[in-house]
This record gives sequence, structure tokens and C-alpha cells, in this order.
Amino acid sequence: MSAPATESSAAVAERRDPHAVLEVVDVSVRFGGINALTDVRLSARDGQITGLIGPNGAGKTTLFNVITGLQEPTNGRVYIADGDVSGLPPYKRARLGVARTFQRLEVFGSLSVFENVLAAAEFRHSWSDDDTPPRQVAAEIVDRVGLSTVSEERVDALPTGLARLVELGRSLATRPRLLLLDEVGSGLNHDETAALGDLMVDLVRDGTAILLVEHDVELVMRVCDRIFVLDFGQIIASGTPAQIQKNPAVQAAYLGADTHAAEGEPA
Amino acid sequence: MSIFLSYTVVGIVAGCVYALIATGLVVTYNTTGIFNFAHGAIAMLSAYSFWQLWQGWHLNAVLSLVIVLLGLAPAFGLVVERVLMRPIRGAPIDLTLVVTLGLLLFLVGVANLKWNPNQVRNLPAFFNGSGFRLGYVLVTYHEVAAVVATIAIAIGLRLLFNRTRTGVAMRAVVDNADLLAMAGGRPVRVQQLAWALSCSLAAIAGILLAPIARLDILLLTLLVVDGYAAAVIGRLRSLPLAVGGAMAIGLGQHYLGGYLTSGFLSRIQYVIPMIVLFFVLILLPQDRLKSASFAGAVAPRVAGFKSSAVWALVLVAATALLSLNLSGPNLRTAASGFILALVLLSLMLLTGYGGMVSICQMTFVGLGAVVMGHVASGGSLLGVAAAVAACGAAGFILALPTLKMRGLYLGLATFAFAAVMDQAFFTQVFGTGGSLAISRPRIPGIPTQSDQAFLILCSVVFAVAAVVVLAVRRSSFGRRLVAVNDSPAACATLGVNVNVTKLVVFTASAALCGLAGALYGGVTHQVGAFDFAALLSLVVLLLARVGGINTATGVLLGAFTFALFPIFVPHLPSFLQSQFLLTGLAAVSVGRDPNGIGGRIADAAAKLREMFGFSPKPAFTSTGTVTGTAAAVFLEEEGRLVSAGH
Repeated sequence: MSAPATESSAAVAERRDPHAVLEVVDVSVRFGGINALTDVRLSARDGQITGLIGPNGAGKTTLFNVITGLQEPTNGRVYIADGDVSGLPPYKRARLGVARTFQRLEVFGSLSVFENVLAAAEFRHSWSDDDTPPRQVAAEIVDRVGLSTVSEERVDALPTGLARLVELGRSLATRPRLLLLDEVGSGLNHDETAALGDLMVDLVRDGTAILLVEHDVELVMRVCDRIFVLDFGQIIASGTPAQIQKNPAVQAAYLGADTHAAEGEPA
Repeated sequence: MSIFLSYTVVGIVAGCVYALIATGLVVTYNTTGIFNFAHGAIAMLSAYSFWQLWQGWHLNAVLSLVIVLLGLAPAFGLVVERVLMRPIRGAPIDLTLVVTLGLLLFLVGVANLKWNPNQVRNLPAFFNGSGFRLGYVLVTYHEVAAVVATIAIAIGLRLLFNRTRTGVAMRAVVDNADLLAMAGGRPVRVQQLAWALSCSLAAIAGILLAPIARLDILLLTLLVVDGYAAAVIGRLRSLPLAVGGAMAIGLGQHYLGGYLTSGFLSRIQYVIPMIVLFFVLILLPQDRLKSASFAGAVAPRVAGFKSSAVWALVLVAATALLSLNLSGPNLRTAASGFILALVLLSLMLLTGYGGMVSICQMTFVGLGAVVMGHVASGGSLLGVAAAVAACGAAGFILALPTLKMRGLYLGLATFAFAAVMDQAFFTQVFGTGGSLAISRPRIPGIPTQSDQAFLILCSVVFAVAAVVVLAVRRSSFGRRLVAVNDSPAACATLGVNVNVTKLVVFTASAALCGLAGALYGGVTHQVGAFDFAALLSLVVLLLARVGGINTATGVLLGAFTFALFPIFVPHLPSFLQSQFLLTGLAAVSVGRDPNGIGGRIADAAAKLREMFGFSPKPAFTSTGTVTGTAAAVFLEEEGRLVSAGH
């Protein structure tokens, strides 16, 4: 994979990875005078786990918000499956098969664990033609993400780590084609993180595409097929886990050195 | 030309008063993050205090003014800050809304007790109303004083906020009081200052306004509420924008009122500020989808179908039994209790479950009553259906532009709607002080016309509606509603069209009010404009909060406490003999608990069930299966919480 395009063309941004289930093309987001994202290009493919890593404040969650439609980009486009979804509201993107978890929790706090997942299954039931009873879907998923023993607990009473699993279960209940996971593993212990990794591998084997934001480098290196590195709102590197580990720009970013100098990119 | 000039003078003066009101609101919002709905009542109370000192006790005018502006008003601000506002600093907007609305009602109640509203009082203008001629227009020195005071205050506040350490601290404290404390500031002192200053500003506005308008408790309070529009133009933050907005509203109102002297549009003059408020709220950029803040309190368990149906039957049976021993007036009072409970039930659906605030439910009730009165003068069921349909449609139309609003903005917009409807619809339909005759609905084969039969009918309607609302909450739509309230962002990313969900519930809630409206006229066979005044919608919201906005028990309790009030009155100490005062008092105390009294009853019932072994679900235990690790973390966290608590 190449580094991001340095020239920002005036013409309509072109797709480069037509096989990707998700392609983000030249997305920029500006908040006032701050460039949260600058010309970000990224893609994710079916049956693969794509990692998105970078220091805090690099713009990872903002990019997730752009992909799911919660944040309108200043410019750039987002393609999901074969279509340009750039103008679509979040709920329509979800119906195309995009689901996500939130770094800052967005659980349904006054519902139980089971009801959280059930609600999501019911939502899907209302907009898809899948006739599987929502209760059955919810029961399977609660079991799959390992929350059976707390399924009757109200979610606002759960510790953060478990609440993240609730969000994972909830997003799975919509049977997504593209799953965006935002630090879903933080707050879990070592064994649980390992179980989470296995679950993700299972999911992509069934054909799901996963875009994973995660601080646990060990987990990222183990499960990801490709990794994009975001720093100060720009993609500074992309490639296989092995390539990323060797990349000097990435090392510089994580050690806090001046990345622009290291990469020799225009500021 | 001279007419234009005179409208300009009056408009500028009105603008100045609005500006004073708006700056007072901005000062407290900027420093504490609390929008003080009670600002209007504080202004009203100050004007009355001034009247009492000057006209009542014949003190010197200047001395009276000094006592109110520099003594009573700031002192009151300090008390309000200490007793009400400090404990709710950083609380969800929903709670601050209830507390400030409660304070408003409480102060109106206090004023009603102290100064009998039926007695006419006159607060003279300053300088005996003398003035000078500007062309053909008489400009009073009172008006000049208003303009001078406004200019001086605007400049003074600008200097305070931008040039002094205290002012900078006042702006900083709302963002992060702890950080300010660490930087050597004193957040509490700064907020005390803000409340004292804001109350003095309210007092000036009230005292300048009263001689121009009239010394009338409700009128004065609502006139000051008109000034809120200017504050919203300044997005509750910007003083210059608020002052500019105030001038525009004041001038616009008087030009329009002056040149449109007849017809429907002339009535609009009085509600221009509220119309402006409504449209500014629509145009204001709203927060993007984000999660509702956790209220902290856990909503009570939702009653199952069996238990809610049994309780509904018990309620109707008990009502039927009791009705045998009640006299005519008491039968009607009880019937009105059930109708009020029906209105509160609509808020349980909308606010309790859906998290949307509405301060216009009585407006829908009024619309329902009017439709009932006109469509079926004989009281047919067709009238009831028409009332429900009309209110549902009105709710739908109101919801369209307000869908994106939340919390405070939605509260203000619905209140503005109610205030506009007061003037533009109800006074038109009923005529000022007039009324409309309405029959009780007739159901073939079932007696509904006697007081006793009507009471039983009302109890049945409430019982059925409550069972239905509870069933909706347990249904998949109910889960969706709660989910949208808890996290609209998550719902949107799970494929839910959040706006459609909100639209449905707003429509349903308004339709339920329509049902209440269809019955409402049946109580005394006639209704008037005051039955549906905007202020009553506020009372209804507070009653729902006090009783408990997410339990049918709470709703019933809130409604009956209020409806049966006339029966309690003779037994209460005289200082509590005001429905407004008591409701306000209850709101600022009990209303802070989001589940209200009903929630406490539910808690107690749950404890009782546990004591007698009827616990609905077994206590949580770790099973040590594959999923045990997750549970173990939970237990560990719980343990930590417990140990931290000791």
C-alpha cells in the first residue's frame, strides 16, 4: 500500500481499491482552525481485519464518525460496498451493513445486557428481510461475546470492560458486513483480550470486514492483516504488521518525535 | 412621522427592558451553566417588594430602590445559589429545568399569598410620570431612566467580563470549576456573585417594567419571560447579541402592534417575543447526536402485564365503591384527578420514557376540548375520536421543527408554542374571559352522564390508558424509545431513524392529551382560556416529576395530590394554601429525584417483595462457565466499589 496522496486533486476523488468493502478517499475534517483529519485514504476488505493505530488524538474516532455518518467531513468521500455513501445519514449506512462500537461508551444504560442486544436485533428485524426471531439472535450473541452470566444486569451498573462487550454484542446483532471496533478491548484482562481476538478471527472467517482501533499492540499485531497508522490526522504508514513494526515513521510517532521531519512530508 | 417616533420610543424602552432581562439570564448561564427559568418570577417579586416598601410602607422612593436593588435582590440571589443551585451544579439539564421551573411556580405562589391578586395595585412611574416633548411625542423621564440604566449596565457588564479578574473567572468557572480553583480562583464566590448580580438585574427590569405594564403577578412574570427570547438570540452566551436581539424584538413588536391595529395580526403583537423565541430555537445550530448524560438514578422496574392489569381493575373497582359515598362536587373533583392523571401519563410516555421535555401538554388538552365542543355538541364518540386525531396531528406538526432539539431548547420551544397558542388561539376561540359549553361523551348502552358514572368512566379510561402505556414500554417499540433516549448516536448507527421514533412518540403523547381534553370539558360542562394557560403546562410537568414520571403510580399520585387540593386547603396552615407554592416547593425538593415519589414507592415495594421472598429474579451469582471470566471482572469491580464505600 502506498502512502497517502500528497497532491490534493480538484477532480472527484477516485477509488483505488474496488474490492474493498470500505474505502475512504481523501477525507479531511476541520474543527474551526484545527485539522482533525487531512486527506485520509484508507480501505478495508471482506474477510480481513484492518488495524487503525496511532497516538491519542490522532483522529481515529473522528474517522470512525465520518465513516458511520455521525461527522460530516469537510471534504472527501466514503464508499461502502459499491456505493458512495457520503451524503447518507447514519441509519442508512447502518442498513448497508456498517456497525460500530464507541470509545466513549454509548450503551443503553437503562436496559439490561440482554435487552441491549435484543433492541439491536429488533432494529435489524424492522429494516431487513431476515425473519430470525430477535430473541433467538440476541440469546446467541450474548452467549458468543461471553455475557451470559450478566445478561439480566442493567448496563449502567456494569464496569467499563463489560459495557464494551455489550456494545460489541449489540453491533453484532445487526449482522454487519463491516464492523468498526473502537478500543473494544480496553478494560479487559489478558484472557478476555485473547478470547476477544479469537472472536474477531471467527467473525472475519465468516466474511465480515473489521476495522480495528486498538491500543493493545500485541493484539493488533496478532490479528490484523493490514494496518494503517494515523498521526496528527494523517496516514503516515500502511502495510502488514511486519512492515509497520519496522517503519521508522511509526516508531517516531510512538516515541513522540517530530514525524513530519522523520517522514519528510509536507506539513 | 410623529406616530413613527412614538412607536420608536416605546419600542426602544421595551427593548431596554428585554435587554436587562436577557443580560441577567446570560450572566447566570455563563457562570453556572444553569438557565434560570425563574428569572421572570424574581423580577416580578422584586417589583412587588419595591411597591411594598415605597407605596405600602411609604418609604422614600430612592431608599426603597436601594433596599431592593442592593439588598433584597442580591440577598435572594445568594440564598437561591446556596439552597437550590449549588447542590445541582453540573447536573443534567433536565434536573436544572425542573428546579428553576419549580422556583418560578413557588415564587408566583408566594406572591399570590402575600399580595392578593384580586386587589388592584399601582406602581407609579419614576419622576411622577413627567417628561419632555420630542416633537409631538412625550418622552417620560421614566423611559429615559430605563434607557440610561440599560446603557450603563451593558457597558459595566462588558467591562466586568473583559477587563477584570473577577469577570474572567466568571467566564472560566462554567467550563471547569475545579480547574479554576486550582488556578487560585474561588468558584463558589464567583457563582455567588453571578446569582446576586443576576437577581439585581432581574429586579431592575421588573421595577422598570411594572409601571409601564401593570403590577400583576402573572402578567409581569410572563412579560419578563418574553425577554428570554433575546437571551436565546445571544445563544445564552453573548451579551452584545442578546442586547441587539432585545432591541430588535422591542422595536419590531411596537411597530407591528402600532401599524396593525385590527384583525388577527394585532393580537400577534403580544406574542411576538415568543414567536421569535420559537423560530430562533429552530434556526439555532443544535448539538450533534450525543448521548444523554447518565442521570444516576435507576428507573423503577416496569410493571408486567398481569400486575398492571390487576392494579387497573382494583383502581376502577375502588373508584366505583368510593363513588357511592361522594357528593357531587367531590365526584367531579375526583374525575378531574383522573383526567389530569391522563395528561401526566402522556408525559410519562414522552418524558419519562422518551426523554423529551414538553411544556405544552395543557395546550393539547385545550385543543382536544375545543374540538370535542365543536365537533360533537351532543358529546358523541365521534367528538372524542376527532379530539384525539386533531391533537395527534398538532403534535406531529409541532414535532417536525423541534425534532432536533433536546432538553432546555425543547422545553423553551414547547413553552413558546403554549404561550403563542394562549393568545393566538384560545382567547380567539373562547373570547376574552368567555367559555365554551362541552358535553360528556355518550356511549350507547352505558350510562356516562351522571357525576358518578362520569367519574367511573374517567377511571376506566385512565386505567386502560395506563395498561396500554406500560405495555408499550415493555414492547419492542418501548425498548427502542428508551434506547433512543439513552443514546441517539448508538441507535442511529444501528439503523434506527431516530427522528421517526421521536415523531411517533410526540404524536402519541399529544393524542393522549387530546383524549384527556375530550373528557376535560365534561367535568363542569364548560371550559375557558385559563384552563389551558401555558403556566398550567408547566404545573403539569412538575407534578409528573414530583409524583414520578416513569411509574403509573407516580402519575396518579401527582395528579390526585393536585386535583384534591381544594379539599385539603381548609386543613392546611395558611402559608401553604397555594397550589402553585406547594407544587413549586415539591418540585425543588422531591422533583430532584428523577423517579419522584412513585419511584420511592416502587423501591419500597421491591424491598417488601424481597422480604417476603417474592423477588422477581434470583440474586446474581457467578457460574464459572466459559463466560465466567467476564462475570468475575464484574464481581471484582463490585467488590472494589463496596470496599471503596466503606
